[in-house]
Amino acid sequence: MTILDLDNFETDFWKDVDKRATWDEIIPGELRDTTPVTLTQEVIARYAKGVGEDNPLYFDEEYAKTTIYGGIIAPPSIHILLMFACTTTEDWMRSPGTINAGQNWSYHVPIRPGDTITMRGTALDRFIRKDRLFAVHENTFTNQFGEVVCTGRGQTIRPA
Amino acid sequence: MTAEEQFNKVEEGEVITGRPFTVTRDTIQAFADASLDYNPLHFDDNYMKNKFGKTSFDGVIMHGMQNFALITRTLTDWLVPRGGFHRRLETRWLKPVQLGHTITPVATLRNKKRTEKGYWLLFDVEVNNQDGMLVATGNAMAEFLDVIPGQRR
Repeated sequence: MTILDLDNFETDFWKDVDKRATWDEIIPGELRDTTPVTLTQEVIARYAKGVGEDNPLYFDEEYAKTTIYGGIIAPPSIHILLMFACTTTEDWMRSPGTINAGQNWSYHVPIRPGDTITMRGTALDRFIRKDRLFAVHENTFTNQFGEVVCTGRGQTIRPA
Repeated sequence: MTAEEQFNKVEEGEVITGRPFTVTRDTIQAFADASLDYNPLHFDDNYMKNKFGKTSFDGVIMHGMQNFALITRTLTDWLVPRGGFHRRLETRWLKPVQLGHTITPVATLRNKKRTEKGYWLLFDVEVNNQDGMLVATGNAMAEFLDVIPGQRR
């Protein structure tokens, strides 16, 4: 169990750039290297605040208990953080110039403080359209009970 | 209130307007610190003078996923007090959002749909900038449930 440490994250996305798969080297279906992370209430609150959330459901246990959720949960969009928190500095999501073209995400079990989340990620597909290099990402996040938290598919335009 | 009662209280055609969001270097930094996405697309003015394949940008751009998070906020701020559960969001980014731009997400409750076991809401989503230009479109789904999946009490 590794508690996610937001303060010691490698913010230089040029580091290890030569070790990352380019579009030519991406193998559809190949699993990406990932590590499970544990999310504390503090990490959830920092994520929520940073992306502009102010709903008390994410911050205030007393309020959250009065909702159908029965306690604090993470904003559903927290997979945005997990995509980077669970992958390594050699992962091609970090390649400078990676342009997001669109996403679809499906949500099942909400993430709660103390949950340990595991990511399974692949490039499901890659293609060239209108002279641009695309990768299709497919990701599944599960919690410590083996329940699916959310699944997502996204497309990025890869740096040429 | 049961899921069915909550479902019956909302009406097709309701328009949910999110809060306007203005992009600054501070908002980009805050989003990066929250998401751990430090791509130079969002920080490095010199890097942004490059051409990206056939695309070039006029300076640094907002994270696409900031837009995703703002759409999510718009939906969940409306859903949570009504007992709704955010189930799905699909987005397409049409135009980059730049420093100084102000974007506003709008979700329209297009359909209510009963399935064998579910009480579903289907939303259309649009995000416009300060010039009324469409920068993103999407679709979302929410559900009314009597018990949230995975709950242990």
